[in-house]
This record gives sequence, structure tokens and C-alpha cells, in this order.
Amino acid sequence: MAILSIDTPPGNIPAGTDIPAISAIDVSKRYGAVSALEGLTLEVGRGEVFGLLGPNGSGKTTLMRLLAGYLLPSAGRLAVMGHDTTTASLAVRRCIGYVPEAAPLYRQMRVGEFLTFMARLRGVPERKVKGVIEGVADRLALCSVLDKPTRALSRGYRQRVALAQALLHDPDILILDEPTNGLDPRQIIEMRQLIRSLAGRHTVLMSSHILGEVEKTCDRVAVLLDGRLLGVRRIADMPDLEAWFLSLT
Amino acid sequence: MRTLRTLFAKELNATLTSPIGYTVAAVFLLVLGYTFSLTLFATKVANLQYIFHQMYVLSILLVPILTMRSFAEERRSETLELLLTAPVQELSIVLAKYAATLTLVLGIFALSLVYSVVLGRYGDPDWGQIYAGYLALALHASLLVAVGLLMSSITENQVVAAALSIGTFLMLWFADSVSYLLSPPFDSVALNLSLIGHFKPMVSGSVFVSDIGYFVTASMLALFLTTWGLAQR
Repeated sequence: MAILSIDTPPGNIPAGTDIPAISAIDVSKRYGAVSALEGLTLEVGRGEVFGLLGPNGSGKTTLMRLLAGYLLPSAGRLAVMGHDTTTASLAVRRCIGYVPEAAPLYRQMRVGEFLTFMARLRGVPERKVKGVIEGVADRLALCSVLDKPTRALSRGYRQRVALAQALLHDPDILILDEPTNGLDPRQIIEMRQLIRSLAGRHTVLMSSHILGEVEKTCDRVAVLLDGRLLGVRRIADMPDLEAWFLSLT
Repeated sequence: MRTLRTLFAKELNATLTSPIGYTVAAVFLLVLGYTFSLTLFATKVANLQYIFHQMYVLSILLVPILTMRSFAEERRSETLELLLTAPVQELSIVLAKYAATLTLVLGIFALSLVYSVVLGRYGDPDWGQIYAGYLALALHASLLVAVGLLMSSITENQVVAAALSIGTFLMLWFADSVSYLLSPPFDSVALNLSLIGHFKPMVSGSVFVSDIGYFVTASMLALFLTTWGLAQR
């Protein structure tokens, strides 16, 4: 696996290189005696929509937090766009857009204010901040709520605002932890279409514990159970995801 | 620098839009006004030493209320995950919170300058002592805010954070009393840890580098530990 140097700026990886979007080699994460992730080896190609499937507590969120730079692995090597998550954490964080499961937002801020804050944190040049926010708000149908306090938003809008903050800096990789959690059926369909529309331009890694959701949204899927990777398959190659999942778990 | 500015503005805005800051300021000024009037009418001496000691005690009780939410609230509401997955150094997050809270505390302290103006108008106070007193209060506030942030960073429960802060401040306050129970060289260690031991000389107008060094070093150590703790993931 090729790991770029710490100084390699994100987005400057020459096209056509064989560096995968995500590369994990024998990655483990332990909290004292408890093992949240054990010996995970995985590769995700650029432009893929990759699903992590597994029950609650299977290690999906831990893996996403490791990739987002929120946690550091206890063992193994983890790289995002060629940047090692331990030694080049800042470079990794520039490459990714992350939406945690709870879609956390600052309650005292308005939506526009929150997106401006996040855009500045993510290094969007000051002269571009307004335009970038307008663009993302337009794409996610958020223009009507830009002046609303974030605490007044419905769950669906909260999820979209959380996704918007992750898209502001046009990241190479989007990490979405249970993006359809708590949404109503219409919002789930909209979110699914949104994620599919992001494929190709962005690599999307999403987690879910709903089989149908992963089947309809992802190109490939990995099954996790008790912190271990049980298998990886291409959705198109599988006649019956449910049967495969049951055979593994 | 832009990131630090952005984080500082967000923290200051959060502090100023929350009722906590105003409540703390109101309580602070109410108690202080009462003490000032009482002391001035009782002693008829143009001196702010009582006020400085009152501010010392009040800030030990009230600063934890301002710092308790800094990290604990971010952790509870999971917004800390947003900050720590953005391309931001942990040090910037800590410094922004420290600077914003310290600005608020110093702002509240600054409101007490009106007492100096009153003394200057109707009496002949020792201005050197007043300057030294405010320097002591600023350094004291810096230490309290830094330690308060450290306590807030290790829990997601705000009440626990405040209790830990007050407990730490009280232990530092009474460290000189503990020194009488210890044998050398531990007695001098405890004595040198004493908060009041480094505060008192400055308020009396005697500014020693060692006292300034104590407050600066303790503040920096607390900020370092907070940053280090955030980086441990």
C-alpha cells in the first residue's frame, strides 16, 4: 500500500495513481480490555459508495471515527487518500467530510451561521464562503432554512444541515454514520438519492443496520460483527444480500 | 490564526448569548457592591484590599460555573466530534475556549473599576497597590479558567466539572495549611502550591516574579494537560 508523506497536500494526488480512497491493514481499536475493532483489513476505491453493515455495537461507528481522525487505532495502519490517520491526521481531516450519527449542530446558531463557522474551520477561503454555502444549500434544498435556528429544525433538516457542513470543502471522502436514522420514508428516499448523486465525485462510506438501505444505496458492502470484518461483496454480484448476511452472522 | 479567530468568535458568542454569564456577572457585582459600600462606610479608608479578597473568593466559586460547560457540553451534545474531525489543532480549540472565558471574567472584573474611580474621586488611594491588585486578579482568573477548562475536558457532566473545579481550587487555596502537617521538603512544596500564598503579596502591592511565575506556569500546565487530553483518543 502506498502511503504519501505527511506534507502531501490533500487533493494533490495525481489522477490515475493506484492509491485507494481508504486503506486499512490489520486495524484494531481497544478500550482497555474491550476490543471494539479487531484485525480489520479493507480497501475502498475512489468514487465508490461503500456500505458498512452490522448490528449495533459491531464496530461500524468505531471504524468511521478512526477514519475521521476522531479516534486513533490501537494497532495496524489506516490511510485515507494515502495519508496515514495517525501521523498525518490534519491532512486526513482535510480530505474527509464526516456526519456523525446524531447529526450534532450548535443549538445557539442559525443554519447559515453554523455553515459559515464550519466552512471557515474547514479552510474554505473567506471570499468563497458565501458562494460555497449558497451552492451547498441549493444542492440540499436548505435555502429556506438558512435563517432558522438549528434547534428549530426537524430531524430531516438536521440531517441535511449535518451533511451540508460535511460537503462545504468538497472533500474526497464522505463518511456518513447511519445517515437515514430517524428519517421518515420520504426523507429516507431523498437521502438515498442524495448519496447516490454524490457517488463518483466523492467516495462515500456509509453505515447502516438496515439491509435494504445498503442494498439500494451502495456499490459494495462489508459486514461487521463484534468488531470483526466477516466479508465484503459487490451488491451487483449478489442475488440475495439477506441470505449472504444470514450465512455470515 | 483564522481558525483561532473563528473558534474564539464562536466561543465568545456562545458565552454572551447564554444567560449563565449575565447571571454570574450580576451575582458578582451585587455581592461586591454590598461589600464595597459596607467596607467604605465602616472603615472610611480608601483601600480596595477587601474588595480584591472578596473577588478572589467569589471567582473561586463563580468561575467554575462559566467553565463547566466548555468541553462537557460539547461532549454531551457530540459537537466535539465535529470540532475534532475538522482540520483544526487541538491547541486552537483549547486556546479559543480559554481566551473567550477569560475575556468574560476580565470583563466582569473590569466593571469593578468603578470602585477605584469612586475612591480616586473622594480619597487618595495607593494606585500602585490597586494596579498590583488587578494584576493579581487577572493572573488568578487565568489560572482558574485554565484549570476549569481542564476539569470540563475530562467529563461530559457539567455539574461534575464544576464540582471538580471548586474542589481543586479549594485544595490549592488551603495548600499552605496542609504544609504545617508535612515534613521537609514536602511542606515547602505544599506551601509553594498555595493559591492565597501567591495572591496575598500582590494584593498588598508587592509584585514578585515568583508569584507571577506561579500563576503563569500553573495556567500553562493546565492548558497543556487539556490539549494533551483532547489529543488522546
